[in-house]
Amino acid sequence: MSEQSKDLSDPNFAAEAASSEVQSSPGVPGGVPPSATLAEPQSPPLGPTAAPQAVPPPQAPSDEEDPKALLEAAEEGRAHQAPSAAQPGPAPPAPAQLVQKAHELMWYVLVKDQKKMIIWFPDMVKDVIGSYKKWCRSILRRTSLILARVFGLHLRLTSFHTMEFALVKALDPEELDRVALSNRMPMTGLLLMILSLIYVKGRGARESAVWNVLRILGLRPWKKHSTFGDVRKLITEEFVQQNYLKYQRVPYVEPPEYEFFWGSRASREITKMQIMEFLARVFKKDPQAWPSRYREALEEARALREANPADHCPHNSVSED
Amino acid sequence: MQGSARRMGVMTDVHRRFLQLLMTHGVLEERDVKRMQKHCYKVHDRNATVDKLEDFINNINSVLESLYIEIKRGVTEDDGRPIYALVNLATTSVSKMATDFAENELDLFRKALELIIDSESGFASSTNILNLVDQLKGKKMKKKEAEQVLQKFVQNKWLIEKEGEFTLHGRAILEMEQYIRETYPDAVKICNICHSLLIQGQSCETCGIRMHLPCVAKYFRLNAEPRCPHCNDYWPHEIPEVFDPEKEREPGISKSNRKSLRSRRH
Repeated sequence: MSEQSKDLSDPNFAAEAASSEVQSSPGVPGGVPPSATLAEPQSPPLGPTAAPQAVPPPQAPSDEEDPKALLEAAEEGRAHQAPSAAQPGPAPPAPAQLVQKAHELMWYVLVKDQKKMIIWFPDMVKDVIGSYKKWCRSILRRTSLILARVFGLHLRLTSFHTMEFALVKALDPEELDRVALSNRMPMTGLLLMILSLIYVKGRGARESAVWNVLRILGLRPWKKHSTFGDVRKLITEEFVQQNYLKYQRVPYVEPPEYEFFWGSRASREITKMQIMEFLARVFKKDPQAWPSRYREALEEARALREANPADHCPHNSVSED
Repeated sequence: MQGSARRMGVMTDVHRRFLQLLMTHGVLEERDVKRMQKHCYKVHDRNATVDKLEDFINNINSVLESLYIEIKRGVTEDDGRPIYALVNLATTSVSKMATDFAENELDLFRKALELIIDSESGFASSTNILNLVDQLKGKKMKKKEAEQVLQKFVQNKWLIEKEGEFTLHGRAILEMEQYIRETYPDAVKICNICHSLLIQGQSCETCGIRMHLPCVAKYFRLNAEPRCPHCNDYWPHEIPEVFDPEKEREPGISKSNRKSLRSRRH
C-alpha cells in the first residue's frame, strides 16, 4: 500500500494538479458526471411533434420498475394524505396544457440534475404537476420522450421505495466528458482524486491522507479557496450529502479520526475503469501500473457487460488506443 | 405542438451530448463552448466537419424552440467575454431558481436584485441587502445566515461579489433579462448601443445615456476623441479594451501545461 500511496505523491501529479487548479472552469461547479454504464438502445430521432400519448417511452426491457405501477401506487399513497381524493375529477385539460406541463417538468428535472439534487416524485407533483396530477402519467411519459429525443437522457426511476428518479445518459459511448474537457471541472478532479485515493488504498482513506494529497493542490482545510471555497465543507458535507463520499468516524481511535469511503452514488455512477483511466491520465502511466486494481476494474467491466448484453463496447475514450 | 418539419433542425448525438454538457455546466465561456463542441464531434462523429458554432447552436435552438428553451449567447458586462447558457424562456420569474432555494432565500435574491437595479453603479452593498433581512417572506432569516445565502448565490453564478458589493452574474442577466424588463420597466437601464438590459456600464454625464463597457469598447475603438452618441459631448470615461479571445489564451497556463494537454490527447 505504501508503494501506491507514493504514486499519489508523484511530482508529476503535483504539476498536473497545479495546472488543473489554475485552469478553473468558469462554468458552474457541477460535480461528477452522471455517466451510467447501463445499456440503453439509442432512441431514434423522432419527428418534431412528440409522439401521441399512447406511445410508450423508448425504454429498454432491462428497466427495473414499471413506472405506471409506481405512479398508481404513488397516487394511491397520496390519496390517503390528500383529502381531495374523493372529489370528482375536473374536466381533462387541453392537450396544449399537458404539453406545457411536460415542458415545465423537463426543465425542472434538468435543473435538479444540474444541481445534483434528488429528483423526488412527490416533489415533482407538488412543484410542477400540481392540479394536473391525474394526468401525471402522460405528462411524465411525454417528458421522458422529450428528454430522450432532445437530450439523450433517460428519466429513470432509480428507487421504487424512495420514489427517486435520476437522469441517466443514454448515449454511447460513456466516458468522463468533463475530465476529457482537459481538467476544466475542478470539482470533478477534486472528487475523482479522493475516490482514486480510496480505491488505490483498497479501503477507507483517513482524512489525514486525503489532506496530504490535497495539499499538493494547495488546498488546506482551514484556507478558503478561490474556486472550491470551503474545501473541508465541500468534501465532508456537500460531497457526502450528494452521496459521492461517506465520511465516518474510525472506530476505537482516540482522539477521534475520520475516514472517507466511496458513496453509493459514486459506486453507481463511476466505474473502476474510469478511475484507472483518471489515474493513467494524471500520472501518465499505463493503468496496469496498478495491477491488482486494474484487474478489479477489468472484472467489474466484464460483470457490467454481462449484466447489460445490449451494451456494445467500442470505447472512444481518449485514453485508450 | 408546433415545429413544422421544414424549420426543424436535426438532432444527432453530437447535439445531444453538447446539450447535456451545456446543461451540466450551467454557463460557459465561448472558448469552452467551442472546445466542448469539438469534443462532442470527436465522440460521436469523428469524420464530420465541425459546424460553425453559430450554425450549430441555431440548429439546436430550432429544435428547442417548441420546448420554450434556448441556448442564449451573452456578453459579460465587465470584460466583454462571450458566454452561453441554456435558458428557460417560459418561466420568466425568479422562481426558475426555485428548485434550488427556499422561499426566504428567493426573496433575498429578489431584494438584492431590486437594489442592484435601482443603484447607480449596478452594485448593491452587502450592508444594504442584509438590512432588508427582516422584510423577507417565509422563514425568519438572520443576517449571518443571509450572508451565507448570498455566498451561495455567488457560487451558483447568480451574483458576483466585488469588495463587499454585489451585482448580477452574466448568467443571471441571460436567464432573467426578460423577467427584469417586465417587472421593473421604470427602473431598468438599457444600453444605448445594443439596447439590452444594462446593470453595469458607463453613462454620459450630460444627457445620461448609458453603455455597457464592452459596447463602449467597440463603439469607441480607435477613436481618439470619443463623444457621446446621443448628445455629442465629450465622453469622460476611460475606454476599455475590446475583448480579444486570442489574447485571452488561458492566462494561467504556462507552456508546460499546454504540452501536457497535448500529450494527453494521444
